[in-house]
Amino acid sequence: MTPRPQLTAASPGAGPAPGAREDSRRAVPARVQWSRDLAMGVRFAFTGGREGWVRVLLTGVGVGLGVALLLLTTAVPNVMQARSDREYARMDLVFGAPDKPEGDNTLLVANAGTEFRGLDVRGRRLEPEGLRAPLPPGVSGFPAPGEMVVSPALKELLDSGDAALLRERLPYRITGTIGEPGLIGPAELAFYTGGEDLAARLGDGGVRRIDTFHAQKAPAEKLDPVLLLLVLTIFVVLLMPVGVFIAAAVRFGGERRDRRLAALRLVGADSRMTRRIAAGEALAGAFLGLVLGTGFFLLGRQAAGTVELFGFSVFPSYLDPAPVLALLIAVAVPAGAVAVTLLALRGVVIEPLGVVRTARPARRRLWWRLLLPLAGLGLLAPMIGKGGDSGNFNEYLVIGGVVLLLVGVTALLPWVVESVVARLNPGPVSWQLAVRRLQLSSGTAARMVNGIAVAVAGAIALQMLFAGIQDDYTKSTGQDLSRAQMEVSVPKEVSSEGARRQLAGTRGVRGAVALADSSISDRRLDPVSSVGLTVGDCAALREVARLPSCREGDVFAVRGVQDDTETPRLAEAGRKLFVDPSYQGSTKGAEAAWTVPGGIKEAAPRKDPTGWERGGFLMTTGALPAAAAPALSGRVFLTLDMAVPDVHEHVRNTAARIDPLTEPMTYTATERSERYDSIRTGLFVGAACVLALIGASLLVSQLEQLRERRKLLSALVAFGTRRRTLSLSVLWQTAIPVALGLVLAAIVGLTLGGVLLKMTAVPVTVDWLSVLAMTGIGAAVVLVVTALSVPPLLRLMRPDGLRTE
Amino acid sequence: MTPAGSLLVAHDLRKAYGPTHALDGAGFSIHPGEVVAVMGPSGSGKSTLLHCLAGIVTPDSGSIMYNGREMATMNDSQRSALRRSEFGFVFQFGQLVPELTCVENVALPLRLNGIPRKEAERTALSWMERLEVDDLGGKRPGEVSGGQGQRVAVARSLVTGPRVLFADEPTGALDSLNGERVMELLTDAARSANAAVVLVTHETRVAAYSDREIVVRDGRSRDMERVV
Repeated sequence: MTPRPQLTAASPGAGPAPGAREDSRRAVPARVQWSRDLAMGVRFAFTGGREGWVRVLLTGVGVGLGVALLLLTTAVPNVMQARSDREYARMDLVFGAPDKPEGDNTLLVANAGTEFRGLDVRGRRLEPEGLRAPLPPGVSGFPAPGEMVVSPALKELLDSGDAALLRERLPYRITGTIGEPGLIGPAELAFYTGGEDLAARLGDGGVRRIDTFHAQKAPAEKLDPVLLLLVLTIFVVLLMPVGVFIAAAVRFGGERRDRRLAALRLVGADSRMTRRIAAGEALAGAFLGLVLGTGFFLLGRQAAGTVELFGFSVFPSYLDPAPVLALLIAVAVPAGAVAVTLLALRGVVIEPLGVVRTARPARRRLWWRLLLPLAGLGLLAPMIGKGGDSGNFNEYLVIGGVVLLLVGVTALLPWVVESVVARLNPGPVSWQLAVRRLQLSSGTAARMVNGIAVAVAGAIALQMLFAGIQDDYTKSTGQDLSRAQMEVSVPKEVSSEGARRQLAGTRGVRGAVALADSSISDRRLDPVSSVGLTVGDCAALREVARLPSCREGDVFAVRGVQDDTETPRLAEAGRKLFVDPSYQGSTKGAEAAWTVPGGIKEAAPRKDPTGWERGGFLMTTGALPAAAAPALSGRVFLTLDMAVPDVHEHVRNTAARIDPLTEPMTYTATERSERYDSIRTGLFVGAACVLALIGASLLVSQLEQLRERRKLLSALVAFGTRRRTLSLSVLWQTAIPVALGLVLAAIVGLTLGGVLLKMTAVPVTVDWLSVLAMTGIGAAVVLVVTALSVPPLLRLMRPDGLRTE
Repeated sequence: MTPAGSLLVAHDLRKAYGPTHALDGAGFSIHPGEVVAVMGPSGSGKSTLLHCLAGIVTPDSGSIMYNGREMATMNDSQRSALRRSEFGFVFQFGQLVPELTCVENVALPLRLNGIPRKEAERTALSWMERLEVDDLGGKRPGEVSGGQGQRVAVARSLVTGPRVLFADEPTGALDSLNGERVMELLTDAARSANAAVVLVTHETRVAAYSDREIVVRDGRSRDMERVV
């Protein structure tokens, strides 16, 4: 005998007698009923045949992309920490730290870093002084002189054939690679080479004796309040579209699902049951999304090691999500999916004979939608003007305010789209099809655009904030690029005149001026008064002062430099002074004695090409006492022919040939705070990820909508509708809400930007170019998505769609 | 079946979807003003034959001549233009555009032919009047009954004055009363416009409105003697 199947209230087409069913349902606790219905929803999600699979897969991929990005975000603190830890673990040249006494555990380290076509190359020259000398992290043995160990990225660059000029600068034999613990990122260019006789150069700028790496712990620095505001806003702006995207993804295939629920109503499911079943389906999509998202994240984590964005690279091991935040994602995403589904079903009446949504929906109300951005402004208002000086922002109020303002975009947009499209008149067929479609269901279109509108609004606000505070974080270097474009610092052991001659002969160098610097003071040891001494020929001295006249053998005292009271006191004829005095506890100076001659000439100050206005004494080379010569550090100012390709690299190669410890430097008119720059870089990286995600989201929902209309599209083609007409209609259908979304985003973005600038006490100015750029990028994403959806649209318009068997 | 004077003639049509042979040497012909019912069980190839005859689907082999012109020589846009101006279509579920009003749906083929909106909607309303649905002009398809929607679809198929009307199970989703009314209106309107009708159905009741019947079975067609 065949056993009778177990029946539930929702089992289509069968059941015990009505009375018995009521009894059995009364007997089932609500919790059990809930879980049964949810389980049924989960089953429906996976058992709907190919269509069902495609839908749940689309949702899963959509949610998965969002989850992957969220997991990536939760790993950001760990990335920053790991990079900082690595940086400190290999710290060697600590400014101001005293040198260790020589021993069998000491190591001499000299800076050998360089730059190649704008890329920083970290380099060190190492000379162990004993068997117990500390090895840098990631290095298994000290390279001998003439050898080097390099990072994998540097090895690749040197092997590429495109880096002949760098290879010329680093002609050492490669004997090994630096392991991961010695690098802060996989794309970092770094090397360690063997050094010789570095002890003799101790006290020279870049040479230190150390007995350990990692001499200092990472300091716990507090972020400047304005930068903190920026970071908080960036996080909110980047994560909001992800949330909006996930909310949109769980509603993929909603119309088909509603028809299925109507069929369930026909066989006895009540409206609450259908909602729970729908929630179960959403849960299935969300769980699949969590699984796929974890997979995407793990794949992305592996791929991250091969990618470098804006000079920022990370090892896969850095990308460890914070466990608490990861758990929060695992809970919040399914819960959010259920909440969004139930919220969406509020406006739908699922009747046994169909879904009552095709009728005109109730008109959207404006008042509560306006409340959200107004509440956001209300939260931000008390902090206006608090960014000046040492002010502080309440992080929660900032986040709350920005979130409410941006959520306001998502609340206002459906109202704006509905109100505007209701007033649009039909024009050509493609326009008419699009407008009528939007009039019938503008909500779907608005949902599609929400993510991009939020991202653009946030980006406009951030651009305004960046432009507004840029001046505070961008300092003029004072360097005069019309007089010199590069400088090469020469160590004491090297003749600056010799260096000048070699550099002047370098390809692309138009002019070279050499100066040497030291100090001159009243005492041999621990002086009370000390001023600068600059040595050079007359032409070179004219670069740093206005000389009345100049002949070889002349000496000048520079008068008129602000706050320089020492020079007049020391420049008394017959006074005995000492070049390069010594200080207790430091390496002994040259202590060369020199007597101020009678009739010393006076010179007026002039800024040198670095913008430095120097006082003290100026000597022509012939006036310098011979004993003082070893105390001079030279520098050569270079004017370059910028039309010569790789002119900077040629100069760096010459400098390296002169002495490996020379330090070439390229002049720039301005320099920005490193932290400001890294925050801006972070924004670009994040914005790139979010835009890619939004693009993917738009594409997926576009395809999903097209798939829903497959039969209709085929029918339209059957009676002769041109493909161009339908393609244009799809474009209008996207372009109209996008245009409205971008206008709204610009308004909200400008408002938020204005408020943020007021909070930082910076005058509000609008950078229209960046507003245009941001809205342009938003529009470009839509165009790309539309272009990508045309091939599937053309495929869906094929007559196959009319086949039913 | 004598093709002489035929408006649309097909010979030896073959069409396969993967391993399934939907058409396997089917033939067809129809004269102006004639109503031909294409009958057969589900999966026999009726709809594929209709899609081939209408130029929606290209057969793998065989020949289709419309008005003396070989359809295989036409490119996609020429076939589309032919469907826009010479053919009309009615499907089982109407396939009205849900976001357009009924009058806009009926006017759509005219607008695709470049006729201005107001003029197209005037003509559309006159056809809706003939099919007794002129009071539904401002409603959307979701707001009308199945029978009414199908009549709107018939009006749409006839609005351009087609020479051939292709109807694929036009009453398949309707009750018998509504089905009969739709068939009466469809055949009357087509005959008065001298339009040929290719009527795909598996219902003998519907086929009774035709002048001639052919049966498709396993992808082959043959004329059926009508038993009166």
